[in-house]
Amino acid sequence: MEGSISNSGSNEDFAVGCMLSIKTTLGDEFDGQVITFDRPSNILVLQEGSKPGPRRNIRFLKTNYIKEFSFLGQSEDPLDIKKCYIDLQSLQDREELALRQAEADAERIGVGVTTEAQGIFDALSKTLPVRWDKTSIVVMNEVRVSSPYLPENVIGGTPAANDRVKKVLELERRRLQTRP
Amino acid sequence: MNTQQTAQLKSSANGFARRRSERESGMRLENKHQSGKLNQNRSMNAIGTSKAPVYESPSRDRLVYLSTCLIGHPVEVRLKNGSIYSGTCHTTNVEQEFAIILKMARMTKDASYRGSKQEYVMKAPSKTLIIPGKEVAEVIAKDVPVTVAGQSNELQNERHEDILIDSSISHSRHVELDRELSPWVPDEDDPQCPGLENIFDGPWNRGWDQFETNKMLFGVKSTFDEELYTTRLEKGPRMRELEREATRIAREIEGEDTEDLHLAEERGINLGEDFDGDEEVRFSSVIRGRGLDDSGYDEDEDILLDKRNTETFGDVPASSGAKTDHLHRGTSNDSAGALLTSSVDEPQCSQSSNGSEFFQSNTYDHCRQQADDLPCKSSTSDCNGRSLYRNPEILRVAQGHDSINASIETKTVAVDGKLSKSNESQSAENSQTAGFDRGGLLADAPSVTSSVKEMPPTEPEVVYVKADGESSGVSACRQPGTFASGSDHAGATSASSHPAVSPSSSLIGSSSSENSTLNPHAKEFKFNPNAKSFTPSHSSPVRPPSPVSDGSYYFTPNVTTLPQMHGMPVGIGMGPSYSGHQHVLFNPQVAPLRSPQPYFHPSGPQYGQQMNLGHPRQVLYMPGYQPVSSSQHL
Repeated sequence: MEGSISNSGSNEDFAVGCMLSIKTTLGDEFDGQVITFDRPSNILVLQEGSKPGPRRNIRFLKTNYIKEFSFLGQSEDPLDIKKCYIDLQSLQDREELALRQAEADAERIGVGVTTEAQGIFDALSKTLPVRWDKTSIVVMNEVRVSSPYLPENVIGGTPAANDRVKKVLELERRRLQTRP
Repeated sequence: MNTQQTAQLKSSANGFARRRSERESGMRLENKHQSGKLNQNRSMNAIGTSKAPVYESPSRDRLVYLSTCLIGHPVEVRLKNGSIYSGTCHTTNVEQEFAIILKMARMTKDASYRGSKQEYVMKAPSKTLIIPGKEVAEVIAKDVPVTVAGQSNELQNERHEDILIDSSISHSRHVELDRELSPWVPDEDDPQCPGLENIFDGPWNRGWDQFETNKMLFGVKSTFDEELYTTRLEKGPRMRELEREATRIAREIEGEDTEDLHLAEERGINLGEDFDGDEEVRFSSVIRGRGLDDSGYDEDEDILLDKRNTETFGDVPASSGAKTDHLHRGTSNDSAGALLTSSVDEPQCSQSSNGSEFFQSNTYDHCRQQADDLPCKSSTSDCNGRSLYRNPEILRVAQGHDSINASIETKTVAVDGKLSKSNESQSAENSQTAGFDRGGLLADAPSVTSSVKEMPPTEPEVVYVKADGESSGVSACRQPGTFASGSDHAGATSASSHPAVSPSSSLIGSSSSENSTLNPHAKEFKFNPNAKSFTPSHSSPVRPPSPVSDGSYYFTPNVTTLPQMHGMPVGIGMGPSYSGHQHVLFNPQVAPLRSPQPYFHPSGPQYGQQMNLGHPRQVLYMPGYQPVSSSQHL
């Protein structure tokens, strides 16, 4: 839906530094300070949170999706132009790092498993070395826990390992149940 | 992030229905990024294909800048249909709409999914996800560094190791801080360099006596006597002179120039305020980048050890003795030192994986020289001390075994560094037992020595006298005893003590021919902790050397076979495997031995090396050794 951008007043409305309270069509509500507003693309960039410092929470919002907003106040420019530099190399490095991390994390996520299963996996991984094998959880490379991840489904491994996994599984399940 | 990449992205989109993305625009955006600076976008902005000329405005600049800041950062993209994707921002294009390409993206909320949360099935993250601008409603990113301060060297902090060095902590920009860190400055009234108070200054020098105070306050009687803790100073007439001398020396040392930062600081050499180096350089004890190379023990360490040995034992032309294979070169131990076997040094010993410590045999030459030259710097006391420690057998020797006594004494003497002729040979053999130290397994069998004595000097084979120092001594005389370096403590020591130095391989052959004290063919001394007095038995065959299985250095004969060989230092690494080893048993009578046999190397390879050269033969003398038992070995 058309945002509440009106040509006449929009410039002032979205002046840099404005504090706004915005509701989006997606159901978000938040407060933020305008860093910039780009008219041609209708993108409004807001900074959330008042914590000063080099790092901010930023939202890029297309004004099309603003359901309503209200003006809270006017403050100064949150962005200090003089300090704005970009080091491409470090960006790239950061990206690489993030990707590596993400890939490592992806290993821990089972594909095609329910969230419950994932929760169990995560819980088990706190104390045991686990990995996914399709939809089975492999613990200590010996013991397999297959769907539906009940204590009965624990197979393999030495009796000691097996028991241990069973026990941990039971405990984790109980814990997950008490917590919604 | 370049055109190529975006092109690749296209094809790599994981089976994901590729949504048309404004890749091309994305590429252009990259170009813009090259500038790196907000204001330089102008030139780049000639976005060719874009129809409407983009109005260069500060706001646009900002937009571009901020979206660039997102690269590599985890973001959340909300689509207009309500779905949410999370991933790492790869690139964006904000010309028309906010298009974005995510890497390792996952759908964290599926608008179309109606089922209960519990059953949501996880999907693999997409390696690359291209989201067209039209779909994007919002992009959210948290903790985005927008200024230089937040960006630079960010990665240093993101090390996944959790080690943070001081520099990165104190340069607090990069670390999440709870509070502002400021460098410590000493209080105003602290003295610049508070000297360590000498608490042992006599109470008469100070206005306050803590013991008195304590007694008064708490009724505690002190039994403190300063001289329990410090050297008693003789306050005699010479005191002043000594003091003067001492201060002179102290000043000399302290005034020395040093490269070491810490020493310089201590000595008050001011580095200057603007000394280049953060606190880590200034205060840490880790020295970086000076070309220090810790890698690899090898030659360097050998040399180092040799050096140490040299220092300890006096200068010996030993070659790098550290390694077992060097052993025979006689790490520095003079014959006397043989006892101590330079290689005996702990580190050395431990080094040789097989308890290499074991064999130190001096090469003949070395031995010779040593015998002759070495004043046994390893001072008598030192030698003695060491030998005592390391070579218990010496002790025993000292305690006197009869026949051996003579030899022993000589040996001992040798140990002390005085190599007497007789000793020489013996001492020569006194192989440096490496690793004897530990143990104390003194050979219980003194007898060996005697027997050894009888061995014809010219034996090519190495007579191994073990355990007993004495025996070794005796044997040493003649033959290059191989000496088992028993690193094992167990009997090694004893063996070691007597080290027949077995000049390694090279030494072989009739020692008698030589006048030298050392038998060039001396074999390594093998320590036999259980060796008792030697009684030659005709039956004991000399075993031909046979390949040793591996490993253990210590030529411990018959660990498994001979009953009396208990306490054999199995630890040396021989372990059960030893049983398979064969050793040559020297039977003195048989001694002249059938032709020099191939060297039998019971264990350590090094031993073998040495031996093979000269066909040294290791002979293990076991009192009462019955050939039968040994036969299994062969």
